[in-house]
Amino acid sequence: MAGGAQVLQDDSTLSRLDRSFYKLERVLALLSGLAVFGLMILAVVSVGGRNVMNAPLPGYVDWIEQAMPLIAFMGVSYTQRDGGHIRMDMVVGALKGRVLYAAEFLTTFAVLVLMVLLVWGTWAHFQRSFDFGSPLWSRDSSMDIALPIWPAKLLAPVAFAVLCVRLVLQLVGYGRAFRTGTDAPVAVPLVIDVATQARLEAEQLSGRDD
Amino acid sequence: MDSIEIGLWVTGGLLVFVVLGMRVAFAAALAGLVGLIWIFWDKKDYASDEFVWALTVAVKTAGQVPHSKVSSQALSLIPTFILIGYLAYYAGLTKALFEAAKRWIAWVPGGLAVSTVFATAGFAAVSGASVATAAVFARIAIPEMLAIGYDKRFAAGVVAAAGTLASLIPPSAILVIYAIIVEQDVGKLLLAGFVPGVFSAFVYASLIIGMALALPNFGPPVGGFTWRERFASLPPALPIVFVVVIIIFFVYNPFGGDAWGTPTEGGALGAFVVFLMALYRGMRWGELKSALLETAKLSVMIFTIIWGVLIYVRFLGFADLPHAFADWISGLEQSPMLTLVCILLAYAVLGMFMDAIGMLLLTLPVVYPAVMALNGGVDVAAADSAFGMSGPMCAIWFGILVVKMAEFCLITPPIGLNCFVVAGVRDDLTVQDVFRGVTPFFIADGITIALLVAFPSIVLWLPSLA
Amino acid sequence: TEWNVSLWGTRRAFTEHVEKLAELVSEKTGGEFTLNISYGGLSNNRENLDGISIGAFEMAQFCAGYHADKNPSITVLELPFLGIESLEQEAAVSMALYQHPAVVADLARWNATLLMPSPLPQYNIVGSGDAPMTLADYEGMSVRAVGGIGAAMAAVGAVPTSMTASEVRQAMDSGVVKAVSFAPHAHMSFGTIESASWWTTNLNPGTVNCPVVVNSDALADLSDSEREALLSSVDEALDYYIEFYNGETMAAWGPALEERGIEQISYPESELTAFRDAVAGPAAAAWVEDNAAKGLPAQEILDFVTDQIAETGM
Ligand code: NA
Ligand code: NA
Repeated sequence: MAGGAQVLQDDSTLSRLDRSFYKLERVLALLSGLAVFGLMILAVVSVGGRNVMNAPLPGYVDWIEQAMPLIAFMGVSYTQRDGGHIRMDMVVGALKGRVLYAAEFLTTFAVLVLMVLLVWGTWAHFQRSFDFGSPLWSRDSSMDIALPIWPAKLLAPVAFAVLCVRLVLQLVGYGRAFRTGTDAPVAVPLVIDVATQARLEAEQLSGRDD
Repeated sequence: MDSIEIGLWVTGGLLVFVVLGMRVAFAAALAGLVGLIWIFWDKKDYASDEFVWALTVAVKTAGQVPHSKVSSQALSLIPTFILIGYLAYYAGLTKALFEAAKRWIAWVPGGLAVSTVFATAGFAAVSGASVATAAVFARIAIPEMLAIGYDKRFAAGVVAAAGTLASLIPPSAILVIYAIIVEQDVGKLLLAGFVPGVFSAFVYASLIIGMALALPNFGPPVGGFTWRERFASLPPALPIVFVVVIIIFFVYNPFGGDAWGTPTEGGALGAFVVFLMALYRGMRWGELKSALLETAKLSVMIFTIIWGVLIYVRFLGFADLPHAFADWISGLEQSPMLTLVCILLAYAVLGMFMDAIGMLLLTLPVVYPAVMALNGGVDVAAADSAFGMSGPMCAIWFGILVVKMAEFCLITPPIGLNCFVVAGVRDDLTVQDVFRGVTPFFIADGITIALLVAFPSIVLWLPSLA
Repeated sequence: TEWNVSLWGTRRAFTEHVEKLAELVSEKTGGEFTLNISYGGLSNNRENLDGISIGAFEMAQFCAGYHADKNPSITVLELPFLGIESLEQEAAVSMALYQHPAVVADLARWNATLLMPSPLPQYNIVGSGDAPMTLADYEGMSVRAVGGIGAAMAAVGAVPTSMTASEVRQAMDSGVVKAVSFAPHAHMSFGTIESASWWTTNLNPGTVNCPVVVNSDALADLSDSEREALLSSVDEALDYYIEFYNGETMAAWGPALEERGIEQISYPESELTAFRDAVAGPAAAAWVEDNAAKGLPAQEILDFVTDQIAETGM
């Protein structure tokens, strides 16, 4: 099992697209991080309100439920770009060159098919909760303070669509690597040996304690 | 085709995807989606004009899972616990803990290694993730151990093994995930992890002391700290105690009064205290931003596995597989205890190749009902049960056993994430070195698990008070 | 024909009518038509209507209060102080409302046909600490109560505080809430009576409405004899449910309270009248206003329910 990888770059159009898209993905991931921070503040306010002012935050649970999809989905493409979703790389780790690129192309293609279908499925889930004719366009509401749920449901197809674009970029990357047989393919997460990868993970934590 | 057969075929397909290197979350979701299409089409006897209907229903069924499963208040503990760990690092708490542990307990045989174990256990009380804990301590503890002549492989092994404590001692992301899969009280499970976690730490420490007494040239004790120095080391580490107290008191008030809130609130409040501490220690926006991005990345990774695997689990529900497996297990003509031990051994084997969270999510929907059936059912009373404990207590006990197994798997070859991370931090260590160094701790973990199985009260004592 | 039925939790008093229905239908059709009941395997309880609308399963149970915007028309039965006095009466009023054209149309948006209710007794309150002997004692008390009951409690100065059912026991132990409003079976299964010291016998603030629905297309696709077997079994299944609830659950309830020494509080009628006057009218008016905005004939539905209650009462 491993996550985390290196992505090489050069001045090809593909690599430039990869990097510009990465900026967007980073902003979305940061949104997700800020939502975690917001959750923490919300709890502090809720506990404080209840214990200090005897005024619990109405709909505390409803608001948490609204924030969770933000945390869970928005960074999905950012993580995919960096190869951060865990996988078992014993087999692919042993492959090299064109065989490796072909294997990666195939599994990435299968994931693209899955995600396109899930964009459809999650969009349908959103649509069932959305109605232009209703107050607040809402056809599904939360339990306590009846917040409309469609905005939270909409996050899934949006984040998954972004992931689909990323998967297409990676497919182009693997396809190009297969055609040229290069040792240094750009815009795709490279299988690196576990030690290198673990060092990268640890370096993310470097800083104050050294 | 029988739905159980479809279930088995799809599960086989899932394993093929995983071995081929597809990301686990997506492999599980894909298997689940294919399985759902299959089940629905089977219902229409594979009529060719019904395929589109089956596809539509399957896609829409799968499409409900991501939003509906992640919008959970209980799951909100996971990102909060991860955030605490990163903030604690920026607050300088790791180093402070190690220094305090060293000054207070390094005088015992194998002192520095024992200090490492207890400092890690202390950090585990604010960190919810094992791998991050091992990475942090590899940087702080290994150099000091090497400086006084420890074998470098052993030093690395200590850190890799001690890192696993983070998932037993609350807060723990993986215990929350277990609680959610099996729909048990999160607070009680977190509480239940505390004693076994500390117990594990003592087993590790005893092992080290034993080795230090038996082996020549083992790392020497480190003495000579004055009481003044000892007490001076405490204030920087105090915030840890503060956070521990908050979390404990939000789960259960040991003085018999009301607890102060829910675990969700306790986790968030703990994170807030550490955040203030990190601000005080000079954390600025750049560092906060990287802490938030790292939290987002790890959270997304976990949540993607959660919804991906739950699509597969939804398919299992339609295939009725968990029910069939529970019937099969409870129908076996051998003692329930033997069956339980076999299940734990199966986890040890599976865990050699799989990541802890993925392993639990994939297996628990099938294994958990079987274990509960083995004990005599969800609502069984202690007197009528196979393991001598009530249904809810059995759920807690099995949870701690499974999580301990999953943690054990973080240090077993060939895929032991903690060992990879420790090797990654140190240029002078290969993964093989760390696996060699961690071997003695297999014995310690084996003993711990055997004792937890034989004496469930180690696990159940604290939650039974709450 | 085999139908999948999506329930949640475990088999309990609350699901006995569905279990009975499955038994009756299979019996009447000689095993030709079976209901395959799943507890939580097919869907989340809050997504059961979605599953019906997709066609993933053919029958499901849910509660109106989980998602008012999905089923605004039947939330009328969750208004506080409607004055329903028994499970029998609640079943009768629900069955009548389920035939109302506006309600049928509301559920038809989900391709769902209402089959039968799961009548529950009044959500009386269990609490810890000093018992509120008068309604004024509710001032500032945190109470776990949802929907119309939450609104009712807010009207006497209590603070409605929400959490999922599985967190309720902990919230009560930890003092996050002092009191909890549940049906008796839930007070027993979620353990709230373990840490309680009092129970209100006659506050009767209201209840929740949890229907069982079927997928309309699947219902139409049944053979005439299968449909007949299903529809003709509803009354018997409901009777069985009510008998079971009254017999098993309510019979266990009194002794359960006494075993634990839980004080049973009854409020004088004058006090209750004041409570009702303060709450019922405004809550009903707000309901009519909100739901008229959604395009429902809200006043008509409310009047229909009030008439039915008057007719079935006494
Ligand atoms: Na921990
Ligand atoms: Na392993």
